[in-house]
Amino acid sequence: MRRLQVTTCCLALGALAIPGAAWAHATLKQTIPAFGKRIERSPRFVELRFDQSVKALPNAITVYTAKGKIVSGPSRGGTDKRIVIAPVKHLARGAYTVRWRAVSADSHVVSGVFTFGVRQRAPPATEAFGSSGPTTAEHVVRWLYFLALALCVGGLGFRLLIVRGPLPPRAERRFYWVVGAGAVGAIEVGTLAFILRAEDALQLPFGPFFYGDLSPLVATRFGTAFVAMTLGFALVSALIFLAWLTDRTVLLWPAFLLALGFASGLSLSGHSAFDAGSSWLSELADWAHLASASLWVGGLISLAFVIWPAAPDLRRRSFLRFSKLATVLIAVLLSAGIYLSVLRVPRVSDLWTAGYGQVLLVKLALVSLALLWGAAHHFLVRPALERGAPLFAGLPRSLIGESAVGMAILLVAAVLVESKPPPRPTPTPVASHASAP
Amino acid sequence: MQPPAEFVHWMFATGFLLLGLFLLAQAIVGDEVWRRRAWRAYLWPGLAFLLGILMWPVMVFFTNSTVHMLAHGSWAQVMMLAGGAELGLVRGKLHSRYWRLTMPLAFLVSGAAFLIHEQNTWYFARSAFLHHLIGWTMVVCAIFPLAAVFRPRSTLFRTGFALTFVVLGVMLYCDRDVAPIFGHLSSQAGTPHR
Repeated sequence: MRRLQVTTCCLALGALAIPGAAWAHATLKQTIPAFGKRIERSPRFVELRFDQSVKALPNAITVYTAKGKIVSGPSRGGTDKRIVIAPVKHLARGAYTVRWRAVSADSHVVSGVFTFGVRQRAPPATEAFGSSGPTTAEHVVRWLYFLALALCVGGLGFRLLIVRGPLPPRAERRFYWVVGAGAVGAIEVGTLAFILRAEDALQLPFGPFFYGDLSPLVATRFGTAFVAMTLGFALVSALIFLAWLTDRTVLLWPAFLLALGFASGLSLSGHSAFDAGSSWLSELADWAHLASASLWVGGLISLAFVIWPAAPDLRRRSFLRFSKLATVLIAVLLSAGIYLSVLRVPRVSDLWTAGYGQVLLVKLALVSLALLWGAAHHFLVRPALERGAPLFAGLPRSLIGESAVGMAILLVAAVLVESKPPPRPTPTPVASHASAP
Repeated sequence: MQPPAEFVHWMFATGFLLLGLFLLAQAIVGDEVWRRRAWRAYLWPGLAFLLGILMWPVMVFFTNSTVHMLAHGSWAQVMMLAGGAELGLVRGKLHSRYWRLTMPLAFLVSGAAFLIHEQNTWYFARSAFLHHLIGWTMVVCAIFPLAAVFRPRSTLFRTGFALTFVVLGVMLYCDRDVAPIFGHLSSQAGTPHR
């Protein structure tokens, strides 16, 4: 028995000492040209440098033009086994996509994609040749992301700006469930959105995708937003948890401000930051639009699902306070929305001729419905409540209805964000009428 | 900008070692002595929660493969969940002992993530061996926190639970073959690159 134990220990120790790879599989450390770089001259070759030896397949590196023409030759390994090289033809001015795959020493295939530009800006890896663009799944995920933001930002805003004081225990529990679900949802759904975008860029089947290199995706604006927002909402979740644990509402303030701030990640990585005519003002307007929409929809949800069922004593006061705040939010929402629409839809006819315009029309119709609903609450219900009239029996259903319209607007907004705005008209050159003297 | 992966492993190894030692001390001296200072009750759950938060940067900055990113994300979440549940119980915000089931759940999820994200067989390399070993250790040792939910005063289960973290810490220290105690041993990894 003792001999068996000693043998087992020796085997275990021996196994620990057998040669081991630094990584389970090869990792791309450097490329020539570098990820997303603009270069002034055509490169003679594309080079990949890994952190460990790889086997170079003939099609290890394929370089595509923006139209999908292959401009690279067969790949080969360098004298250093960690390097793979493919010659390329003389590259004209344009954007190029590099798709690569290599076999690690562990016999597993690793793959990836990156872009570079010759005498022009390289497109982000998410727009590499072969990417098909946003799918229905991405629209749904983007919508869930907006909902998560509304629950988190709107719930926190409602608690701090509208309720302010202590809540009954049951309502407090519901409040923490709502904002906690929002914060965690923002992390989970954000990760899912990043993975869907990466899957589209890498164009790999399910299995190999798990070993696809996501580093070039992280280097894009979308990837940077993913990194910042994941870290930001992890911090927000921790602050919400600590506020619940210690009964210190004051901790919700940094959580609220951080959530509002990190929501700007979407504005800094979307149309308002990229498209023609974008500026710091368009980014600010986009953030104000998103923040006010989150506060409005999240506030409505909090009113309907936290205060109404769990804090009857606070119903009237909360409704009246929220009604005042909603007026300001709607004003900001509309101002920013109109400014962004004018910026992104250069011609009125684009509203019915371009896909982006058509989605915008649907959104405007839903916003009008929500405004009418809100106006009914503001101009009919609010004065009655201020006069001391009893709460209407149908008011909770009406609040749920308005929340549902708000959520539908977020769905259309998700489709809109993923759509391409119509191109801006190029200015017609003025014909020269100068006559000879 | 990024620290080498082994530094991150060693940092978390230190965290788990501390966590295991706190739990071991508590199991040895008993709850009454351990909680003579109220803050001590928050020590290990607070550390577990903190390690969960610190795992998020690892998830978003080490994206050399999708499966690594997802594995680190799952570890971050289950550590925050299990640490948070224990903090809630200690603080009196949660009352049901079944919240402690989050810890065996964390063990199972973490172990599964280790096993799934390792592509190679046991004897391919030391790192592969250790990934399998860590994965199976966590899956099998989930029995300790699970049993402790129903037998919270059992010294056996509590000690087993504590020692799992100690062992996990030691295995994480050994996980990379650039660790000074082993040196660079792999012929497959080419010449030493660090």
